[in-house]
Amino acid sequence: MNTPLEPGQDTLLDLKMDELKRELATLSAPASLEGPLLARFRSTRPDIARPRLWWMPPLALAATIALVTWMIRGPLPTNQPLVSLNPVDADAGPFLALKPLDRIAIEPGATVVTTQFPRALLAEWGLPVAPDRAGEPVRAEMLYSAQGEPLAVRLLN
Amino acid sequence: MTMPPQDLQPELELLARMKRGDEVAFTALYRRHRDAVYRLALLYSGSGAQAADVTQETFVHFITRPGQYDPLRGTLAAWLCGVARNLARKAAGGREDATDPADLADDSAPFEQHVDHDTPLERLLRGEVAQQVRRAVAALAPHYRDILILCELSELSYAEAAHVAGIDIGTVRSRLSRARAQLAQLLAPRFPDAKEAVS
Repeated sequence: MNTPLEPGQDTLLDLKMDELKRELATLSAPASLEGPLLARFRSTRPDIARPRLWWMPPLALAATIALVTWMIRGPLPTNQPLVSLNPVDADAGPFLALKPLDRIAIEPGATVVTTQFPRALLAEWGLPVAPDRAGEPVRAEMLYSAQGEPLAVRLLN
Repeated sequence: MTMPPQDLQPELELLARMKRGDEVAFTALYRRHRDAVYRLALLYSGSGAQAADVTQETFVHFITRPGQYDPLRGTLAAWLCGVARNLARKAAGGREDATDPADLADDSAPFEQHVDHDTPLERLLRGEVAQQVRRAVAALAPHYRDILILCELSELSYAEAAHVAGIDIGTVRSRLSRARAQLAQLLAPRFPDAKEAVS
């Protein structure tokens, strides 16, 4: 068994050890180690940073965008016919709104009626009428509200 | 050998960032500890090439298993030294196997057959005294050399050395005391005039 060191021996040993420590302190790890280690770190990083369900948030975002787009651009749900189902109307011109469009859009129970009236009536809706033809009859489709108020008109000929 | 500061908080923040994949944080931790790990590996292996391999393996272990480090059981520096120590001892094979103290009753006899008289580390150390001390350290019984390297040359606390070596603190103290005595005995013939100069 070794016996404990005497104080002088202890000091001497410390001095010798300090010499070795000083020499060791001048040594550094080779610089060439850092590159491969960083590459190794990068290769493992995706597994660390990216959870298994990483695709869920992008997928949810895409689905939300598609849904909102469809809601904005899709056809308005209507429960009333804004146009006549009569085949003869297929080649007719567009309806001319006699009331604001937003009001027409929300009007419940609107109906289209084919009718005939004096051309002079067009002037009341702000449409141009030649004075010499004011007495002639005009065929038209009228969009009426449930209360019988004219909402739009389409001239048939 | 200078160890990192004991204020763990900044280092733990770097560690947390590294676990989230922050390359800058890993680089900072690597640069902070690489030299201490390399020097410890040099002392165990005696070879610059082997020490570089051990250093690389130590940090690969750190990259792949950072969760193994438990801040409650010591500093990151001590943990890295423990990993490096185990890898270096594994690379050295049976020579570094821990020895049962009960089998070491006659531990005053130095293990001269283990002395590497011309290792690359000898060539790295420029000073004659440092070379002599390094040879004497290499000649110590492995279980004494182990504690001497951890406590004296890597400056781990007794508690950290005990955790790294898997022994209790009392055993660390006694082994360190015996290691120093054996080292002094080995150095005495190499510096015959030194004792007189000190006394």
